[in-house]
Amino acid sequence: MKNPDAIVIGAGIVGASVALSLTNAGFKVLVIDRGAVSSGTTGAGEGNILVSDKDPGPELTLALRSRDLWFEMQDDVGDTFELEAKGGVVVARNDDGPLMILASEQSNHGVTIQKLDHTSLHELEPYLDQRYQSGVFYPQDSQCQPMLAAAHVIRTVVQRGGAFISQAKVTRILVNQGAVTGIETTQGNFSAPIIVNATGTWAGELAQMAGSHLPIAPRKGFILVTEPTKKYVFHKVYDSDYVANVASSDADLQTSTVVEGTRAGTILIGASRERVGFDGSMNYEILRRLAAQATSLFPVLRDVQLLRAYRGFRPYAPDHLPVIGEDATVKGLWHSAGHEGAGIGLAPGSAALITDAILGRESFMDGSAFSPARFEKVSL
Amino acid sequence: MIIVIGAGPAGLAAAEAASRNGTDVALIDSAPRKGGQYWRHQTAVKGYRSNRADTLFAKIENASSITHISEATVWSIEKDGNLFRVNYLQGGQESSLTAEKLILATGAYDRSLPFPGWDKPGSMTPGAAQSLLKGHGVLAGKKVVVAGTGPFLLPVATGLAESGAEIVGLYDANTPLRWALSPHALLLNPSKFLELIYYARLLKRFSVTPQFKRAVSSFSEGSATISRVNSKFNIVAKRDKSRLVDVVAAGWGFTPDLSLGGIVGCAQRVDVDGTTIFSVDDAQRSSVENVWIAGEATGIGGADLSLIEGEIAGLSASGQGVRPLLNFNRMRKQIFANALKRSYPIRDGWQSWSDDTTTICRCEEVKMSEIRESVTELGAEDSRTAKLFTRAGMGLCQGRICSRNVSEIVAGLTHCTVSDGERIASSNRPIASPISLGLLGDGKK
Repeated sequence: MKNPDAIVIGAGIVGASVALSLTNAGFKVLVIDRGAVSSGTTGAGEGNILVSDKDPGPELTLALRSRDLWFEMQDDVGDTFELEAKGGVVVARNDDGPLMILASEQSNHGVTIQKLDHTSLHELEPYLDQRYQSGVFYPQDSQCQPMLAAAHVIRTVVQRGGAFISQAKVTRILVNQGAVTGIETTQGNFSAPIIVNATGTWAGELAQMAGSHLPIAPRKGFILVTEPTKKYVFHKVYDSDYVANVASSDADLQTSTVVEGTRAGTILIGASRERVGFDGSMNYEILRRLAAQATSLFPVLRDVQLLRAYRGFRPYAPDHLPVIGEDATVKGLWHSAGHEGAGIGLAPGSAALITDAILGRESFMDGSAFSPARFEKVSL
Repeated sequence: MIIVIGAGPAGLAAAEAASRNGTDVALIDSAPRKGGQYWRHQTAVKGYRSNRADTLFAKIENASSITHISEATVWSIEKDGNLFRVNYLQGGQESSLTAEKLILATGAYDRSLPFPGWDKPGSMTPGAAQSLLKGHGVLAGKKVVVAGTGPFLLPVATGLAESGAEIVGLYDANTPLRWALSPHALLLNPSKFLELIYYARLLKRFSVTPQFKRAVSSFSEGSATISRVNSKFNIVAKRDKSRLVDVVAAGWGFTPDLSLGGIVGCAQRVDVDGTTIFSVDDAQRSSVENVWIAGEATGIGGADLSLIEGEIAGLSASGQGVRPLLNFNRMRKQIFANALKRSYPIRDGWQSWSDDTTTICRCEEVKMSEIRESVTELGAEDSRTAKLFTRAGMGLCQGRICSRNVSEIVAGLTHCTVSDGERIASSNRPIASPISLGLLGDGKK
């Protein structure tokens, strides 16, 4: 494909979603990636599609729409990526005040919630430690297998006339009179009037190639995976402290555990958040803390064996909001990046925002809070 | 103090050498007894030149500066200032031990290649058959086929025969004519002729005639199909024979266990035969300061080479000099080891033995068709992506058995060769051995 209508850089779930959305709007789309499909943060993700962890505001609006778009995307592509509305249960041990206030506010903004007392909480999660007194059930919280999703979505793009080139590292972004004209890569040169930067954690580097600026940095996280077990965990279960940690800008390590069972029978335990650059080394103290928190939620997990642990780098912006929209200085360069730990969930919603903006049509929400222009004077 | 991990030939030799000047050594191993896989955790060893083992065992027992920590499985190693903290599981508890220096002698395990039926009861590796016999006194079956490639098949076949098994066939997919490529290796190691004669006489005694260019291409319900294969391991049409057997023991060389050195961050490279190994210098030092590595993890070479490498590592780590003769002997054995790799290559033709329904990843029960679809339908280009799409390599063994095979299947389908980077990345396992969440969390500071 020599002259596509648009080039999407990055074959993670965010890039795949943009590519599908543009393809369905009639664009001839070329997707390129420096590695293979899902070889970056998507490949290290848990597949969270959450509304429960978001405060009322633009991100929650995006998350709600995006969650529905996930199910539409599944119908469009075919049921092939383990998408499941398994629901989330947020639990409180002692003071459930902040959690209940948040839940009520979320409910006012369109989130379906169900407040749980001790009895109903333990009916939903019979293996949860009895010391947990109350909680909130979020039936909209969902789960997918993100690597499979990205692969199937890109396959659909290709079936509909698009193209995908892997192992193509961008070496130059061509800009003429303030507008992009194409890219040079290790697999050849391509021209297009629209280039979408969906390179996640590496989006800042790419923006720089075009002479622009995006303050996106990595926030490292570890995930623990156990041996397959009997079904002990029925939803995504996490402590209400989690919401505070997601929103925190603290560079220090934070751990607050999200525990869930998978279809394969394994239990996934996340998630730590650390700002340590791209340092990929294993920190066993973090694994110990995650294990301690998981077993304090579910004491039955004490005898379950940990088989593996892996890490990924979430892309985050200083205000913890994603960056979605046209570049502030370079015309035709669009960004969908910086989704931090919510990229899987927010991917199709972000794609819809970008496609609507490119077509100049009205979208489901005002996306100005995500505008790349908000960083003109901010750096990390 | 020096911590030596692994009590096979390399680890035993390292511990013994380091203790000569009184250096304190902790020798950690997961088995109840010394000897590793090769000397099979016995107090007395039978077989070719087994007196070496008995001598070494005695020296270790008599050395007061060596502490043998047995039945201890190391699951991780952390850096704590300039100390290494070795975390291990023993008797249902987690303990740790710290030292300034480490010698890793973690050995290797059999490599398996998939074929229809390789995941059925009765199919095992030669190492497993030998382990059942030597470790537990159990004969895997009455009628046994030993197959695969390499000289390791000889002690397995003769060992099983001596214990009363009927060796229905001994098949090597390569041909001994390949040794003609490496005459210097044989000339430098004349003792290998004596070893060959030793096994040849044993085989003759049990009326076993090795056959070459043959492989077990399928196994089901007590029947093994023996196929003629060409030099690429492709099956030569219409030359199959069936053999009634209880057990197929098939092994295709060895894969080093790299988990612990990988955790410490020791640099790895890809050996001439495609095996991922650690890079070490003349003194067996790894790329990480104060970590030495000896034995199979620095290149598959057998017990003779492991003993020398272990001795050099032990001497170097304890600050003793290494005699030039030791270096010369290591070079001699390395030349022989490289000749082994040249004489018993694994050719890609094995991929054609499997059909769509053949299991490639046993832990997660991933079939050949799923691996193929991950490439042709979903665009997987390496074993990592294929793993993310199919779960191959995510199970209990963490890809120790299948990840190399998956890499090569994916490369075969995409008409590429497996990159060194991919081979090295797939050996990265931060949890070297499973640990319960309870014990893990209890160790929190």
